[in-house]
Amino acid sequence: MAPPRAEVLQGTLDLIVLQTLHAMGPLHGYGIAQRVQQVSGDLLKLNQGTLYPALLRLEQRGWISSKWGASENNRKAKYYSLTRAGRKQLLAETESWERMTALMSRLLGGTEGA
Amino acid sequence: MEWLRIFGARFGGLFRKRHLDGDLDAELRAHLEMLTEENILRGMSPAEARYATRREFGGVEQAKQLYREQHSIQLFDVLLEDVRFALRGFGKRPGFAVVAILTLALGIGSTTAVFSVVDRILFRSLPYPQDDRLVSFGDKAPFEANEFVLGPDYVDWRKAQTPFESVTSFVPGGADCDLTEHNPVRLKCALVESTFLPTFGMQPFLGRNFTSDEDRPNAARVALISYGLWRSRFASDRNLPGRAISLDGRPTVVVGVLPAEFEMPNLGHDDVLVPAALDGSTDRGPHARQVILRVFARLKPGITIKQAAAAMEPLFEQSLYYVPPQFRHEVSFRVRSLRDRQIQDARVASWVLLGAVLAVLLVACTNVANLLLARATSRARELAVRVAIGASRGRLVRQALTESLLLGALGGLAGCWFAQLLLRLFVSIAPQGIPRLEQATIDVRVLLFALGVSVLSGFFFGLASALRRPAPELLTGKENRATPRGLLRQLLVTVQIAVSLILLAGAGLLLRSLWKLKTVALGMDTKSVITAGIDLAEYRYPDSAKQLAFFNQLEARLKQMPGVSWLALSDTLPPAGGTQATFLSAIEIPGHTKFSTGTGGMISYRYVTPAYFSALGIPILQGLGFQEEQRSPAERPVILSEALAKRLFSNGEDPLGKSFRFGSQNNWRTIIGIAGDVKNNGLAAPADPEFYIPWKNESEGYFRSGHLIVQSAINPEAVAGWIRSETAAIDPTVPMTIEGMTTRVGKLAERPRFTAVLLSLFAGMGVLLAGIGIYGVVAFLVAEQTREIGIRIALGATPRSVLRMVFSNMVRWTVAGAALGILGAWLCSRFLESLLFEVRAHDPFLLGSALFVLLAVAFFAAWIPARRAMQVDPMIALRYE
Repeated sequence: MAPPRAEVLQGTLDLIVLQTLHAMGPLHGYGIAQRVQQVSGDLLKLNQGTLYPALLRLEQRGWISSKWGASENNRKAKYYSLTRAGRKQLLAETESWERMTALMSRLLGGTEGA
Repeated sequence: MEWLRIFGARFGGLFRKRHLDGDLDAELRAHLEMLTEENILRGMSPAEARYATRREFGGVEQAKQLYREQHSIQLFDVLLEDVRFALRGFGKRPGFAVVAILTLALGIGSTTAVFSVVDRILFRSLPYPQDDRLVSFGDKAPFEANEFVLGPDYVDWRKAQTPFESVTSFVPGGADCDLTEHNPVRLKCALVESTFLPTFGMQPFLGRNFTSDEDRPNAARVALISYGLWRSRFASDRNLPGRAISLDGRPTVVVGVLPAEFEMPNLGHDDVLVPAALDGSTDRGPHARQVILRVFARLKPGITIKQAAAAMEPLFEQSLYYVPPQFRHEVSFRVRSLRDRQIQDARVASWVLLGAVLAVLLVACTNVANLLLARATSRARELAVRVAIGASRGRLVRQALTESLLLGALGGLAGCWFAQLLLRLFVSIAPQGIPRLEQATIDVRVLLFALGVSVLSGFFFGLASALRRPAPELLTGKENRATPRGLLRQLLVTVQIAVSLILLAGAGLLLRSLWKLKTVALGMDTKSVITAGIDLAEYRYPDSAKQLAFFNQLEARLKQMPGVSWLALSDTLPPAGGTQATFLSAIEIPGHTKFSTGTGGMISYRYVTPAYFSALGIPILQGLGFQEEQRSPAERPVILSEALAKRLFSNGEDPLGKSFRFGSQNNWRTIIGIAGDVKNNGLAAPADPEFYIPWKNESEGYFRSGHLIVQSAINPEAVAGWIRSETAAIDPTVPMTIEGMTTRVGKLAERPRFTAVLLSLFAGMGVLLAGIGIYGVVAFLVAEQTREIGIRIALGATPRSVLRMVFSNMVRWTVAGAALGILGAWLCSRFLESLLFEVRAHDPFLLGSALFVLLAVAFFAAWIPARRAMQVDPMIALRYE
């Protein structure tokens, strides 16, 4: 049986999008969705439609900016890119995420040891 | 500041909605196309690919909705939508909206208008800093409504008191004074201490307060003038302080101008404050002229009125030592808040009126609630559809509340306009002496109140329909047979009937009491009597000889006038009491023991000319009236009022010819007659005992003011003009007030009339609204039952039995409401007791009449729709729908 697909955790979608834009440079919504799917394999169940409200939220916070452009096959698409504030935010969130996961694994490992 | 940025972006989103939506559409389309292409590349057929795309992408509309919610302020957005929807609904049924808004305007408007008046009396802070710490204190004695302090006590107490931060006083009865520069005017001067302004926390607007050095006997004369006087008389001259004006003919330096918002603590309209210059004497000897003071104080922080009274009690006990033993038990000590002193007896009437309008508001709200409920029933299908396509319960409640709040707001808006009108009406019919009425306006505070009332009532009447459970099963296509009989609606009407009955009963009590007041026997005949009050300026008529000369001259001139039946002079006029008075205990009659162990209360007396009794139609019950020759100083007659005669000669002895002496006067008088009692203590109270002395045989008398009494069959205007011209011929500077005796007496009933008229107005509104409510509910039930009625008629029911069916329903809740109302009226009328005159609060006849009126209205309101029910044509009814 395939491993159960994880729901996207509340709040992690923002981090995933920021990281994707950081790694890949400017991308359109479809590109972001593809990239996320690729990286996560089939482990992550992403409802692609929910990406757009998240993009709007990040833009409203000033972490990403958007610009209309042409896609690889010359289709009109909106490209998103990371802003300076977004880079800072990504750094901060990555740090806090790592602290959190370290803490969690220590906690869970501790329980196992006992 | 991040939230601000987000808010900014979202707020901008509100206005770029269409643009943003278009962008999103394009973006999503691109996404879906790319996804489909990708899927085709993976080898799916186009149809398969589109299907897979949908699956991977999830709901497009949901994504759009989420996106929209993200890009604007959702609450605001939904609110706008709800408001638009509600307005569209009102537009579809304008009749409903107009009736609801008018009903609310009536309720909210009257509540707002009354609030604007009673707010000043009951709630709004007085115009002094920390006004809750201001009190009035002093001796409370039976012969005086307000507390007072005797000069020597004041000097002692001021030194020894502990509970007050500061204490001050003024001399009551603030004298008239005259500004005797070019174009002289009569002003009101108040004698106050230099501590007066500081105690109330006030400062002059210009210049300074007078100093304690200036507040000494024989100091150079200084004065503070009111803002109004400064504006009107001195053209707002900022250099006025320091300049001398002529006050009562003596130069007086104006040291300061009072601020515009300054108010005397007794609400008097004084133009000038001059130093009281108390001499600080503590002489309580028999020949000391003890000054009587009104004393005010500012409590120390944290001290309550009770504590202050307790702290002052020992000082008061000490002062009692100087009070003649027989009076001691009549005097008590009182500390009360400045507000209590100012509003006196307006408190009860204020609460009654406020309660009455709130009741009207309640009736109005229940009416609108009923309208909304009726509408909700006819909209049940619409609601069911909305539930079926996914509206949540919360969403529907929000929509319903938006609708009712919108109605509330619109009603409130119309209500404010109505309140303005009502307030104008109040002011125009209001009598003198309602504290602060002239200040009442619809200001920000009152508007906020109106807004609060609108929102609250919107919430209240909307709740009932908002909480109705929507029934999606209505959509199954089956007949909606199971229409609820509207228990809630009937309950609301029951409440309306109860509340209206209480209002009606209260109004009935006040009207009956007013009628009794109007028809009370005055003891005199006021018809075709004209009076003229004359006040002589002290600087022109400094002694009683000059004053007497003026009045005698006037009398002689007026006697020439043809058509005058009677012409008399007196120092005071009923229905006011005399201003000169003596204690009952100070009256002596040879052979009688003292009439009272205490003071026995004040017995007032009047100086009158012989024609006084005839001019006012006061009967001489025994003996004779005064004769012209008895005005000579050698004669000393006295006439007692019936009440006094009964009091003095309770053993049935004949008073005529007995000797009589009062007060500090050494001369004995002879009782020559007994006059009928005349109302002299307001209309409600029985006449106080009094006696009469002939005008002007007293050289020690003081005749600065007097009244002319003219009984004449001639046109009163002519008489008034003639009195004016004759007076002017003697001295054109003498001011006078001419009025008919009937008007004078009528003024006494103005306060009760004001309360009664307003309460009746509100009761009328309440009953009208309740009638409309009953009509609405019965009409609605009949409309709902049309089919049923049609079937019954088709099966042979007579119109009578149909009528009985409709009425039996109505009768049940009307009777329930009436029973509740009677109970409520019984309980509430007790609050009215102090406003009533010769009417018992629990008058069964009045309550019965109120009940009758209400039942008649209820019957009539139900009759109109019931008649329609009787005329239902079974054929049409069966094809209904």
